[in-house]
Amino acid sequence: MKPTIHLSTKSWTRRDVLRACLCGAGAGALNGMPLVFSRALAADATASNRILVVLELSGGNDGLNTLVPHGDDAYYRHRPRIGIRPDKLRRIDERFGFNPGMAGFEGLYKDGRMAVVHGCGYAQPSFSHFTSMAYWHTGAPNSGEETGWVGRLADAIDTQATPNFIVNIDEAQSLAVSARNHVPVVFDDPERFGRKGLYQTRPLLDQVSDATHDANPSRRYLLEVAKSARAASQLVRDAWAKYKTPVDYGIVAVDLPKIASLIAAGMPTRLYYTSYRHNAFDTHVQQPDLHQRLLTYVSDAVAGFMKDLQRIGRADDVVMLVFSEFGRRVPENTSLGTDHGTANHMYLIGKPVKGGHYGTPPKLDALDEGDNLVFTTDFRRVYASVIDGWLGYDDTRKLLSGNFQTFPIFG
Amino acid sequence: MTRCSPVRGFGLAALLLSGFAVNAAEWAGDLTPIGTQDWNAARAAHLLERAGFGGTPEEIALYAAMTPQAAVRRLVYHKTIPNDLPAFDDSGAHDPGLEPFPPSRPAATDLAKKTGESLGVKVKPAGNRRLQPVADRFFYWLRASRLETHRLAYWWANRMLVTRRPLEEKMALFWHGHFATNEEKVRDYRKMLKQLELFQDKGTGSFRELLISVAQDPAMLAFLDAAVNVKGAPNENFAREIMELFTMGVGNYTETDIREAARAFTGWNFVDLNFVISPDKHDSMVKTVLGRSGNFDGVAVIDVILAHPVTAEYIAGKIYRHFVREDISPELRKALGAKLRDANYQIAPLLETIFLSREFYSPASIGTRIKPPVELVVSTYRKMGLKEIPGVPDFNEVTEMLGQILFYPPTVAGWAHGRSWITPGLLLARGNFVYDTVFPDINFLPPDRYPGNDYQIAAVSEKLAMGLDVTTATKPDAKEMTSISMQMADRDEDFNTRLASYRGWQMAIQKVKPIPRATAQLDLAGMVRAAGCRNAQQAVDVLLARFVSVPVEAGTRARIGKFLESELGTGDLSAAGTFLEEPLRSTLHLILSLPEYQLG
Repeated sequence: MKPTIHLSTKSWTRRDVLRACLCGAGAGALNGMPLVFSRALAADATASNRILVVLELSGGNDGLNTLVPHGDDAYYRHRPRIGIRPDKLRRIDERFGFNPGMAGFEGLYKDGRMAVVHGCGYAQPSFSHFTSMAYWHTGAPNSGEETGWVGRLADAIDTQATPNFIVNIDEAQSLAVSARNHVPVVFDDPERFGRKGLYQTRPLLDQVSDATHDANPSRRYLLEVAKSARAASQLVRDAWAKYKTPVDYGIVAVDLPKIASLIAAGMPTRLYYTSYRHNAFDTHVQQPDLHQRLLTYVSDAVAGFMKDLQRIGRADDVVMLVFSEFGRRVPENTSLGTDHGTANHMYLIGKPVKGGHYGTPPKLDALDEGDNLVFTTDFRRVYASVIDGWLGYDDTRKLLSGNFQTFPIFG
Repeated sequence: MTRCSPVRGFGLAALLLSGFAVNAAEWAGDLTPIGTQDWNAARAAHLLERAGFGGTPEEIALYAAMTPQAAVRRLVYHKTIPNDLPAFDDSGAHDPGLEPFPPSRPAATDLAKKTGESLGVKVKPAGNRRLQPVADRFFYWLRASRLETHRLAYWWANRMLVTRRPLEEKMALFWHGHFATNEEKVRDYRKMLKQLELFQDKGTGSFRELLISVAQDPAMLAFLDAAVNVKGAPNENFAREIMELFTMGVGNYTETDIREAARAFTGWNFVDLNFVISPDKHDSMVKTVLGRSGNFDGVAVIDVILAHPVTAEYIAGKIYRHFVREDISPELRKALGAKLRDANYQIAPLLETIFLSREFYSPASIGTRIKPPVELVVSTYRKMGLKEIPGVPDFNEVTEMLGQILFYPPTVAGWAHGRSWITPGLLLARGNFVYDTVFPDINFLPPDRYPGNDYQIAAVSEKLAMGLDVTTATKPDAKEMTSISMQMADRDEDFNTRLASYRGWQMAIQKVKPIPRATAQLDLAGMVRAAGCRNAQQAVDVLLARFVSVPVEAGTRARIGKFLESELGTGDLSAAGTFLEEPLRSTLHLILSLPEYQLG
């Protein structure tokens, strides 16, 4: 069952929303989850079946060698050795072409399922991976916000704090999903996301004390997490055990089959977060082979995921957002690599997306004093677009602490 | 009458906690040393948790019997305590032909194509797959270095377990996270060992000396691309991380400072295991860093950085947050920074101040720290009374599953700390580690011999043995192959990557010594007997006191007591003496699966 209501975001009224809500709840009940049914009825006005998957490319992906502006001579002037020649590219139009390894992205773009937003960044950019990534995670550059934008989004659209509403697949929890009222389900390997223990120890292993009033904040935190683990682990393992796919995700699947398995199993999760981990895209030295390989992995995995969603009949319900903490400096360095830079593309991918270019590509012949691109789109405009346009929550001003104009990427 | 307690004068967790005086609540933020009258077993236990890898009841009694000053000094000024631990037993997997090791497989095979030789191996004059031996050797070294690094981790963990100088290893572990270097990129266990020895040797000495040594350490130089930082083309990676992560923290320098500092480090490089400076690659012109100008080299830039007040605060604050608690007030940070600077950047006096302070023993600091995985595992084994790290479960598999594998920090920023160690998945994994220790897996396969599913090595091996040709044997068993990455593998006819992966593994296990695979030599029955326990509840209380640092609720304690009683079929331990061990192991699994067990 798919949501059938596609409204333009600006006319999203409370009544429409309730209708969408019933629809979503029905789907939950059909999937055998009466719990979700009752919750969804009582839940916020924006509940629906719509899912957002965020994929982070950590390390600062070189956007200029991902979607190459082959129509711009300045690109080749800045990158005489690592610039990719036009005949090698997967051209999508007279201005841009994807890196040769990215057949998957090329296909998605040409099918009209990919929105490329140009020049995304923020004022006074940080060149530190960790600081800049924290800005993207919190959605609050040069500020001290403690929660993540995905976490705040969950708190806003699901005031009931439905268990398993956020899933973050990683070794450690991302700051992006840190919330006030939601405890994100964080795991790495679904097969290991379960508790070992003999039959007779089970009742005691599952018991979690109530520590709401405990003076020790670390103990309170541990008990909260223990509850979340108890609620999620069985569901996740069952979903993964049941999931079989004929789709080829390529050599590095960036955890997307795990997400597909949970979507296929009808988990009540609306927000998924995963990353290509460990600063993989930090290509200071000998970049071209390595970077192309990384991009091939990502592109294969994302294309596989989209195909798999189609297979399980959920392609209409899922949108994916792809980003990196910064782009790289425009001129290549002397080690056949690139150093930390600024503005970059963001990608929104999926059947519900109106494909094409959004925003203004930064000028390659008008760099800042550090030889970097000058951003043209505050990245929070893209967050706002997906929060409002896709998830139907229009109070983004409060959520993102600012007024960010949306792009008409959906519906 | 026999008193059931782990050692005389040292009681249950609940009693233990009541050992913290009420007025201690006012100690937060106070760096005044605690008095001898405030010293007791509970505080000695806290000290050993933080400055070491947890104490056994015997060790706690030993430290509790000293003055707090003597106890802290014994830990901090540890070099006087003899520590005759065996040196690392090198397998001898390295040979000079491997140097300099090419940065990638394509680099290795391209070099062979160009020159007819690479990695000390010549190209075959004719025939099929002429570069195969070069590719094999490339993968050999990747595997051998990795396997040897896993042995190195075992060696280090065993030191943490049995050392008489626990703070030496604890500080080495701290610096390993601070100056994070990953074997995955360094690709040479010998450099990792050399770096570890540096941390062990200088970890509580002068921070200046340590920083200079790290900046000239081959593992670090390899990790941060020193080789490409040359005059006229400075690479900023190294200079950026020195300022951002190693000394000052973000926001205290400009991008220009980084570029200028990078120039000062130009020409710094390594050859095999030695630091070298290439004068022709060093930029000897004037640089301006943090407002000071001069004809700086790397050491001079380090001194400029150290002269900046924020550096001492950054380092002292980080040490405090690691050993005491995450939240630190700006005043305390300043005070500790001043101490470090006044002590001429000597680490030991700072540690002494911290570990003696009222702040360190205040309720906000006690039992609030989430143990990092390596500490959790080592301290569990210590409290179990083990004399060596078990081979089953595998130490590196366990710690990797919990999120902290030695010599493989995730990024140059090291491991994130505190709450980020705990997710729903990781919390369950912590309990599973205990299960696998008390009930060793009978299907265990040693990861240093058995390749698992990596690169389909096992499948390739079987197919080759059955006489299949290389092309057929190395074809992946994919279903419907549509991805570019799957299709791209093996297009080069000069060699076959999957074959090389298999051969490399085979060559590596012939060189690298196996890790011993004894299970945990655990004797819980003996432990509760020695403590004089007579009934099930007493046994549970002894285990709780020995292992758990924070009090558990009375209901939980009673439920676990009942569980043991029902498993034994009696509350009377003397009646259950002949079959005590297994029920106690189930009980210990329950206790160490409590969320509270993660705290120290």
